[in-house]
Amino acid sequence: MREHEIGSDGLGRREVMRMLTASGMAAAGSGWLAGPALAQAPKRGGTIRAAGYSSSTADTVDPAKQTLSTDYVRCNMFYNTLTALDGNLAPQPELAASIESDRATVWTIKLRKGVTFHDGKALTAADVVYSLSRHNDPKVGSIAKPLAAQMVEIKATAPDEVQITLSSPNADFPVVLGTFHFHIIKEGTTDFTTAIGTGPYKCKEFTPGVRTIGVRNANYWKPGKPYLDEIEFFGIPDETARVNALLAGDIHIAGGITPRSTRLIKAQPGLAVFETPAGVYTDLITRLDAPVSGNLDFALAMKYLQDREQMRDAIWQGFAVIGNDHPITPSNRFYNKDIPQRAFDPDRAKFHFQKSGIGATAIPIVVSPAAAGSAEMAVMLQEAGGKIGLNLEVRRVPADGYWANHWLKSAVGYGNINPRPSVDILMSLFFKSDAPWNESAWKDPKFDQLLLAARGEIDFARRKQMYGDMQLMIRDQSGIGIPLFNSYLDGHVTGLKGLAPIPVGGMMGFNFAENVWLDA
Amino acid sequence: MRRLSPISMAALAVVVAWALAAVLAPWIAPFPPGRIVTRDSLADLSFRFPLGTDYLGRDMLSRVLFGARYTLGIAALSTSLACLMGVTLGLTAAARGGWFDMAASRILDAMISVPSLLAALVVVSSLGSSIPVLIAVAAVIYTPGAYRLSRAIAVNINAMDFVAVARARGEGTLYLIAAEILPNMILPVLTDFGLRFVFVVLLLTGMSFLGLGIQPPNADWGTLVRENVEGLSFGAPAVITPALAIATLTIAVNALIDSVATGRRDDDIR
Amino acid sequence: MNAAMLRLIALRLALGALTLFIVAALVFTATELLPGDVAEALLGQSATPAAVAGLRAALHLDQPSWWRFCLWLGGLLGGDPGVSLVNRLPVVVLIGNRLPNSLKLASITASVTVPLALLLGITTAMWRGSRYDRMVGMAIIGIVSVPEFLIASLAVLVFAVKLRWLPALAFRAGPQDFWAMMRLLAIPVGTLALVGIGQMSRMTRAALVTVLESSYVEMARLKGAGPLRIVLIHALPNALGPIVNAIALSTSFLLGGVIIVETIFNYPGLAKLMVDAVSTRDLPLVQACAMLFCAAYLALVLVADVVAILSNPRLRQR
Repeated sequence: MREHEIGSDGLGRREVMRMLTASGMAAAGSGWLAGPALAQAPKRGGTIRAAGYSSSTADTVDPAKQTLSTDYVRCNMFYNTLTALDGNLAPQPELAASIESDRATVWTIKLRKGVTFHDGKALTAADVVYSLSRHNDPKVGSIAKPLAAQMVEIKATAPDEVQITLSSPNADFPVVLGTFHFHIIKEGTTDFTTAIGTGPYKCKEFTPGVRTIGVRNANYWKPGKPYLDEIEFFGIPDETARVNALLAGDIHIAGGITPRSTRLIKAQPGLAVFETPAGVYTDLITRLDAPVSGNLDFALAMKYLQDREQMRDAIWQGFAVIGNDHPITPSNRFYNKDIPQRAFDPDRAKFHFQKSGIGATAIPIVVSPAAAGSAEMAVMLQEAGGKIGLNLEVRRVPADGYWANHWLKSAVGYGNINPRPSVDILMSLFFKSDAPWNESAWKDPKFDQLLLAARGEIDFARRKQMYGDMQLMIRDQSGIGIPLFNSYLDGHVTGLKGLAPIPVGGMMGFNFAENVWLDA
Repeated sequence: MRRLSPISMAALAVVVAWALAAVLAPWIAPFPPGRIVTRDSLADLSFRFPLGTDYLGRDMLSRVLFGARYTLGIAALSTSLACLMGVTLGLTAAARGGWFDMAASRILDAMISVPSLLAALVVVSSLGSSIPVLIAVAAVIYTPGAYRLSRAIAVNINAMDFVAVARARGEGTLYLIAAEILPNMILPVLTDFGLRFVFVVLLLTGMSFLGLGIQPPNADWGTLVRENVEGLSFGAPAVITPALAIATLTIAVNALIDSVATGRRDDDIR
Repeated sequence: MNAAMLRLIALRLALGALTLFIVAALVFTATELLPGDVAEALLGQSATPAAVAGLRAALHLDQPSWWRFCLWLGGLLGGDPGVSLVNRLPVVVLIGNRLPNSLKLASITASVTVPLALLLGITTAMWRGSRYDRMVGMAIIGIVSVPEFLIASLAVLVFAVKLRWLPALAFRAGPQDFWAMMRLLAIPVGTLALVGIGQMSRMTRAALVTVLESSYVEMARLKGAGPLRIVLIHALPNALGPIVNAIALSTSFLLGGVIIVETIFNYPGLAKLMVDAVSTRDLPLVQACAMLFCAAYLALVLVADVVAILSNPRLRQR
């Protein structure tokens, strides 16, 4: 599963400006997650072993290079961001004590006092300036460069105060600061063979492709946290092996399990499944710039061929919500209810398919375990396609190297996109004409204009109207088919307490390390 | 021809039954193998689905029957090809000797030294997985083994008196091969064929495990085991049946060979 | 040891070197044939013609392939197989990280497999045709015909998940005492041993049976030698050649052929490294791994040949 960034508007209860500039900050220092799991008093001590779902020599502790969920989990052990999204996806202060803005363009951030790095150095405004500015340095090669580009000026106005000027107003900026890539590192850090941050654990060992070990940071600025003495974190790419390791008692938590493994885990006493409903989706990609298959009619035919109910039940065992071929979940406050739900419709599919003029030519469709459920979805499309004369050829490739070698390169294939903290970020990364991850190579200047206008729009109704129009454009004009939004599922031992869903991603929004404790 | 023992009769029956299943699959399978026929996945045996259903709710009986086509078909074709190429090269090398023998032996020796699964992996992942590619890859991988065996036998026979007599009569190389050498090596080559057949089935299974075998929705037996392997813990028929199918086929082929030939076999799995 | 035997061994060595050269050519050609230009694959969507040309030059791809083959071969002979195209680390370092793991797994498996296989092979050959022989024979066919990954999954399910006697993963970094390591590797070694014992014991039995049915063994039997004495003193030395050959074949398989076990048990070995390299089209790494496996195979076969020559009285006298 591809993991890039954080958050979604999934629950739609967030009011960024209000939360942060007025009352929101008062919550600082008290309980972060007032979930039911916290009803029990946390216990200190213990060591756990945790397994994520990828492992390679490209593993990193450089915040700018994080690409996979395992990178997020690892970096969250060692670093903090200025803000973080909570269970309701409201940004909460972390290293920032307060954030204020002047018309959403000039943002002033006051830093929390008494925070130190693992080597004892105190956190200063210079560290923040360095950590944020480096993303705009092409030599760094930051993944978050598109997000960072809006920060035209980042300067320290006092030892504990940073002022950031944006190129244009962005009401979502506090959410942007909570993006994991904007983890705060020490000024001048260039060597990432180990990690020195302000986070809950100190880096004891980091071996790319093998494992990471963090030991408790006794001087952590959140009182009492973290609860564990040590965490060993590593990747087990094979899902069966990961689940078996959990069942055998080798590990305490296994990230990213399939819906079909849930019954095995639930059946064993002492184990439980942790579900996080979120906006993650596996999408059908028809690249519009490809020869033969690269036309809108073919893309529409494919979208009409998706039997969403069957996919939800057979592949996801019901752990999913039906989508309407655009990336906004029904529970999002910007969701456009007026767009009719696209249904399984072989006749419409046939109409568009015949209009595409492809005929009996075999169209390869590339699938991989890397894009969860893609093989099964493609097989269903193939079966349905056979009935309207569409000859799909399912080509399964290994998970290793899928994102580098096949994703964005295959004419027809699948992607797997994680929730993003805001509609703006999601659309900018995957649908803007010049977005690096414009999966279907769909280019529409009108869409780009709307995106820009919505970003600076403070009026909610007008903004919702714009995002609503954009959803319709994606649904009807892009080459992307989004049949479902599925839940994140993790398996864990019941003795591991403190887990509460953060719809940013699985494993408690990739940040379980500082929140869990062992109840032996 | 001596009479077949009860065990070899049973073995023969199993092989013939699977071969029939492969040939007749389209007519006797109750459902199209790729169609999802129920929402009850990894279901147990039932009247409607005699072998249960797979992880997506497809009929296992139909999938196993169609799986026989791929497993048997690919294994038989590629093993035949491997034997054909190996025997041809081996005979030629034995009969002609000299530089041809030297070159062929060195090159095929070099091929044997590459681990078979990795060699298959490199070729298939670069050419893309399709049935012709799988057949060709398996055939090429198992050619050196067949070559070594047939060359060794041919060289031995070559040195025997009756061949020398024929040569003294002034017979040509082709005649020698056809009339004297070939009939004497049929039995060992057949034995070898059976073993290689088993190895090809296992190679295919390994390829399926790595996701490079037959492409979905089609599936050979190895793929069927792999895709339903999660059902193993509660003994789902979807994982047990194809595994049994592989085991019965390979054991039967082996038992059949044992009864046909009593010669020794000394070969490797590369 | 005499001059004739030394010459024989020298000939084998020369043949081995020749084979290795052919292997190098085969490996190089096979990887060259991989579709898609390496430079384009590396640059992905940012592959402008100028960038591709630049990278091709940097990778020496603009030169004729026979010349690149010479460069590569020269590097290999000098002990430098190049640099990984994916993360720019020297191939030697990447392989060096994994080689000890693979050697550990291979040597432990071999030390379990070889004695057991020899025992089974010798006993079945001694009592060939008996009920014991037939039962072992059937059991071996049965085990060999079950896919390796099924054996491994089943073993994990039984010993790790249900009984909880052993861990499901085979790798835990950091120092471990001997027994902890044995516990970790128990299931993978067991899986590999099951597969290996079948092969090896059948070959041992076949080689022994041939010798046991020869006339001079018959002579020894007529002279009144006991069955154990016949096997150990008269038959075994003569069958040693094929047996050692069988051991060499099975052992070389343990280095590169264990990809399934490495995947299931999350074990960072060489086979997995090569599979990853293939999927990322990291040609120098693929080529180096392939060469390593072939060289290991050839070395083992060479050792087996030498042992056969040394042990065979007839060859010794020739």
